[in-house]
Amino acid sequence: MPPGSTVPPCETAAPGTARISRNAVPSGDTIDVWWFDTRTVAVTPAGLAGLDRGERSRAEAFLFPADRHRYQVAHVLLRQVLASYAGTAPARLPLDREPCPRCGAAGKPVLRPRSGARPVPSFSLAHSGDTVVIAVAGHPVGVDVERDADRCVCSLAGALHPADTAWVTGLDGERERHRAIIACWVRAEAVLKCTGQGIGHGLGGFPVRPGQSPALSGNGCMVRRLAAPPGYRAAVALAGSGDVAEVCARKWP
Amino acid sequence: MSPPGRAGVASVTDDLRAFLATATGRDELLRIPPGTALFGTEVGLDSLTGTLLLREIQRRFGVDVAGEDLNLDSLATLGTLAAFVAQRAHP
Repeated sequence: MPPGSTVPPCETAAPGTARISRNAVPSGDTIDVWWFDTRTVAVTPAGLAGLDRGERSRAEAFLFPADRHRYQVAHVLLRQVLASYAGTAPARLPLDREPCPRCGAAGKPVLRPRSGARPVPSFSLAHSGDTVVIAVAGHPVGVDVERDADRCVCSLAGALHPADTAWVTGLDGERERHRAIIACWVRAEAVLKCTGQGIGHGLGGFPVRPGQSPALSGNGCMVRRLAAPPGYRAAVALAGSGDVAEVCARKWP
Repeated sequence: MSPPGRAGVASVTDDLRAFLATATGRDELLRIPPGTALFGTEVGLDSLTGTLLLREIQRRFGVDVAGEDLNLDSLATLGTLAAFVAQRAHP
């Protein structure tokens, strides 16, 4: 299947419904991708009760109710989705943070395996505007989504890998350049979220522009464009070489 | 008369608010107090907006925040960032 092609939704129960079932952790180089629109999701007291103390205090710190809502929706849904794979209650997920491989600071959120329990999936959460995306896979995965540029983002080109900067700035047409910059940005951020390296260390250390040989790009990750809701651009990265075998798109509601 | 630098900080603060409101399409950012944390919590700017902001500061004020403030303490709040920029600005 060519990269970026639209994949039909897979048959599974949606989180938040009465039939949350057991989702199998994707095998091989397959990724499950869950999309949500925060405008269509209500946070319930039961959902909020599943958040831990850190998530609650973070939600409280938001200045604007709309930001708080988006954060709460994203984290309640993340827990519900992960619970369906881990076979445990959302509040009881063994969530932890891995140290950044560059500086050791607490970084990438992960599920800790428990002895005797079912295998836990790797996951990644991203949100932008009203859109939330959660990627789930059998090994390290990263996802990013950003709104399409509605103003000039050319200043971001310099933050990319020099080869990607040259590619972007060589494109004809401002609109084309802006699209390419955001496309590279989401690919680079997906890779960093996959490897767990903090974005504070920069995202220009490796090329990610589309159409390159996987061996020459992606910093040891397979990167693929994701078909995103209108107005958004997204990418997913999976640890390993070659190509992502399959992206299983799931939508809710 | 304002203490030295004071007017500069206020005007940089307003510039940063206006840039953030335009970059994100969120008018409410025009009203955030100087003590507001820009990243992580409170208004939760993402890394793309953060990078746009730092590039704009470099273009408009000639200040390379990431290069001059290695611990990035200046990024704690809107007010600390504006003070850092006002102190070093050479537009």
